[in-house]
Amino acid sequence: MSFREKSAWITLIAILLVFALYALHGPGVAVPGRFELHALLACFVAFLVIEAIAWLVLRLRYPEDARTPKDERDRLIDLRATRIAARCYVVLSFLAIAVAIHLTHDNLAVGYYVVLAFATAEIVNYGARIIYYRRGV
Amino acid sequence: MSGTIVSNRIRQLRFEKGEITQQALGERIGVTRQTVNAIELGKYSPSLEVAFRIAEVFGVPLEQVFQYNPVRSPSKRPS
Repeated sequence: MSFREKSAWITLIAILLVFALYALHGPGVAVPGRFELHALLACFVAFLVIEAIAWLVLRLRYPEDARTPKDERDRLIDLRATRIAARCYVVLSFLAIAVAIHLTHDNLAVGYYVVLAFATAEIVNYGARIIYYRRGV
Repeated sequence: MSGTIVSNRIRQLRFEKGEITQQALGERIGVTRQTVNAIELGKYSPSLEVAFRIAEVFGVPLEQVFQYNPVRSPSKRPS
């Protein structure tokens, strides 16, 4: 497994862990108002901490691989996965806004669903990278 | 996504030309060991530039390294 595939696994797991917790504090579950913003901030910080620690461990364990620059296959995988994720984000954002306005009429809920759409798009992004690395591009 | 219509003899040539490792070949053509492995397994078709570099390392014409197999219909859409 390449260094970049390992990095993609770490990011994917970190996003899944953090945003699964965030999803549990969504509208209807969480106390409305500031709490959701705090939950979002806490999730963001937790994600950064998990990423930083895991990346540091990976870099210390595989220093040679970490120094290797991206080659043309890495760049192609980046482009393809990002393209899929970008489309996914646009579609999910519109859906999120439509669903949130239709169901809740609450601005905070709109924000909550848009963040979830972003997290889902990132899961698609890193999931696609892993699939491209494993199955070929 | 999986498999390409371009096959190659890189693995065979590596052993014929002094048992070059994937790592060593990757360093000489400017890609990672994993990318050399993906090319050998037909999971990735390299750019023309990398293909020519591979042929140059082995000292053979490009068509002795890569073969185009039009029998297999391409499942990939152009990007």
